[in-house]
Amino acid sequence: MNSSILSIEPQTLNEILHALIPADADDADLYLQHSVSESLSLEEGRVKHVSASTAQGMGARVIKGELSGHAYTDCLETHALMEAAKAARAISNAASITKPLNITPLTSPHDLYLPNNPMQQVDMLQRKKLLESVDTLARSLDSRVQQVFASVSASFSHIHIVRMDGMHLSDDRPLVRLNVTVVVEENGKRETGGAGGGGRFDLSQLIEKNDAEHLTREAVRLALLNLEAKAAPAGTMPVVLGSGWPGILLHEAVGHGLEGDFNRKGSSVFAEKMGQKVASKGVTVVDDGTMPHRRGSLNFDDEGTPTQRNVLIEDGVLVGYLQDKQNARLMGVAPTGNGRRESYADPVQPRMTNTFMLAGQDNPKDMLASLDEGIYAVNFGGGQVDITSGKFVFTTSEAYYVKGGEIQYPVKNATLMGMGHEALQKISMIGNDLALDPGVGTCGKGGQSVPVGVGMPSIRIDELTVGGTQA
Amino acid sequence: MSTHLKDMANQLVHLAKQSGASHADALSLVDAGESIQVRHAKLESVEREDSRGVGLRAFVETPQGLAFASASSSDVSEQGLKSLVKQVISMAKISEPDPDAVPPEGANHPTFEDMQAWACKHPHQAHGWNLEAAKEAALICEQAGLDYSDRISNSEGAHASFGETSIAYAASDGFAADYQRASSSLSLSVIAGEGECMQRDYAYTRSRQACDLRPANEVGVEAAERSLRMLGASGLSSRTSTVIFEPRVATSILGHLASAINGRSVLQKNSFLSDALNESIFPDFVHIHDDPDHPDGMGNRLFDGEGTRCQARTIIESGRLTGFLTDRYAAKRLHTSSTGHARRGLTGDIGIGTSNMMLSAGEMSQEEMLHDMGDGILVTELMGFGVNGVTGDYSRGAAGFLIEGGKLVRPVQGITIASNLKDMFANIAYLGNDVRWFGSVATPSIAIKNMMVAGD
Repeated sequence: MNSSILSIEPQTLNEILHALIPADADDADLYLQHSVSESLSLEEGRVKHVSASTAQGMGARVIKGELSGHAYTDCLETHALMEAAKAARAISNAASITKPLNITPLTSPHDLYLPNNPMQQVDMLQRKKLLESVDTLARSLDSRVQQVFASVSASFSHIHIVRMDGMHLSDDRPLVRLNVTVVVEENGKRETGGAGGGGRFDLSQLIEKNDAEHLTREAVRLALLNLEAKAAPAGTMPVVLGSGWPGILLHEAVGHGLEGDFNRKGSSVFAEKMGQKVASKGVTVVDDGTMPHRRGSLNFDDEGTPTQRNVLIEDGVLVGYLQDKQNARLMGVAPTGNGRRESYADPVQPRMTNTFMLAGQDNPKDMLASLDEGIYAVNFGGGQVDITSGKFVFTTSEAYYVKGGEIQYPVKNATLMGMGHEALQKISMIGNDLALDPGVGTCGKGGQSVPVGVGMPSIRIDELTVGGTQA
Repeated sequence: MSTHLKDMANQLVHLAKQSGASHADALSLVDAGESIQVRHAKLESVEREDSRGVGLRAFVETPQGLAFASASSSDVSEQGLKSLVKQVISMAKISEPDPDAVPPEGANHPTFEDMQAWACKHPHQAHGWNLEAAKEAALICEQAGLDYSDRISNSEGAHASFGETSIAYAASDGFAADYQRASSSLSLSVIAGEGECMQRDYAYTRSRQACDLRPANEVGVEAAERSLRMLGASGLSSRTSTVIFEPRVATSILGHLASAINGRSVLQKNSFLSDALNESIFPDFVHIHDDPDHPDGMGNRLFDGEGTRCQARTIIESGRLTGFLTDRYAAKRLHTSSTGHARRGLTGDIGIGTSNMMLSAGEMSQEEMLHDMGDGILVTELMGFGVNGVTGDYSRGAAGFLIEGGKLVRPVQGITIASNLKDMFANIAYLGNDVRWFGSVATPSIAIKNMMVAGD
């Protein structure tokens, strides 16, 4: 019995690899993971929910052409590990490799976050006090605050990847997150507002940077604003998007559509569009997994490929896809460091890391002034895309009705809708105010969730469908 | 295996009490499953899962009341269980006591006779599949989809999976139970059209036993039909309109209702239905039931996440909201008794969820509904997360068909539909007679008047 998935002897690893790798494999690897997470949450003024989880296991993978075998186990007994290896290699009839593998440690290509448990310096009592301070502050800011929900969560994941060439990489990935939601009430009308932030750094930094105070003020401000919100208009109109988290537009409108698997299989509306103009001139979109401490960053991806800065759209022209190793091989290009998996229990997919648009020249004030009638959307909730038809949606959480270049009033949350291959062609102004999101993004694909980042300068899009209720 | 799981859950509870917990309950589970994907008639992937886990919730007594914490682990070794107990107890001591906390003691548990009767009525049956049989079904399914029309241009693959989960629950009042559940599923996603005019849709079937799945070719044809019928979809001008939600998307409306009557949200007035108890929130022809023992539902269960015996319940009786869904905590705060809707995972606080939620059929076929309403929109696809549970405000992306003169005229996409859920519930004009099951939810088509449709 192995006491931890990470303490498996090199000799055993070698045996598992030999059981795993058929002679005709294009690729194969073992992914060993041990992760711990802790979460405290406050409601009704009390930190009543304290929870934690520990997960460890091994994923084994064999790739041959378009075919893949994947098996995992969280039983650490050698026979279970061997069985997983055999199940993954069942896609091939070839004999196993015979030559001994030399398991060699490889140093990490980047050093984007400290390899320390982000929870160690801030014990649970301090985290509890942090949440209590959020509650006290929120209630002191405005007497209309009725409910405060706050949570602080952190995880620390150790991963080891042993590739079929014997190269052994390891990474220690911290991730922290603070969330505040408030409910306000006035004359029987209730509304809600929320804010969050985090990244790959220590919990102590959340406290030092005073994130809790900032997020609390923001949540209260948004909730009170929503109390005054009127019905949003319905129809197609120009929209100015604020900087930062509204970059979720890029994630939905083009990011998913540029993932290698969809393009290799021809199911994305962007398949066959390489080298073509897919956005207005001046629009450059980048996916960068190497930004220190960002939520979407990784020293290397979940296949051991170093993360990098990938330009996807350059001056309006499609120049790159996001690739894992299998899809890159099949498309005859290099992997881009975007092979990701939620955990050892999930297969690898090409995924985004931190996706953003580079800044332009326009002054955000001029963009607002340019709106005869439209919406100024500053903040958003979640979004979704259908990569085949190109339809995408994302929902405002802070938006204003603008007439004659001036903000008239805040509007209720409304879904904005567009077509991915058209929306970016309708960008007519790009702000000089590039900002990244506060560290709240989680991307879902094929049932797997991974942390991501987005960013954008303010932009003006000449036409988006605004899903309000006001004719 | 399951006796072993029950022992493990009991052992965790016992260790927790030895280590200072006043009360505790525990779950242990084992999941084993395999799946296969074929694409363009070739094997594309084979996957196998082998997982286990335990979860413990422990309470400690303080002068201000009970405090609790919970944690899960995939390490089920003796040492793993011991460190889990230690971790949970130390966390419970940090957690703030809640005077209303309800420990796992004295719930309305099923009796031994109940458990025997349940086991007789619901004998455990294996899924009955292996990789070869699953691959065969996936191949037939995909072929039926690709062969349906030459305008079906591409496949995203047919996926078949099967597996078995064993779960045991034990509480410190001595209640312990276990059960096994098999599952099997088959799905296909295909693409119709080319280039910028592609449409993609899917179909699936899910069951405990593979022999109860819908025929593979039927699923393939459904996926193809759904993709094909959206070809040529275009925009629509903005308008106020009656919107029919076909059964597959109507399930989401039932989901919004279930969230809005979640007792834990209600007690914090965090739902737009917090004050709607006994009010007529739907027209009088709307009846909604929750049945934990239904032959067609995937949500059958004898007891809930706290060991409370589940009961069939009428949620909406002739349009009236009869009560909220509760676990024991929400029930105590709302001065009622638990409705047996506690839902829990290995870790985290208890949540609330329905078993098999069913909206009763109306009398009209879809054609009769179309004919009667004349003009409107049939929604077959919804996108995005624009639903606010506190206010009920609703705004989502949609695609489907324009209805004119009682007929489906053309496919439409790139529209949004918006209203407020309270108004949507009250504005239901028709229910179809076309009830369909989707896992643990059954619903007919729902037609809702006066929705704002935004388009070109």
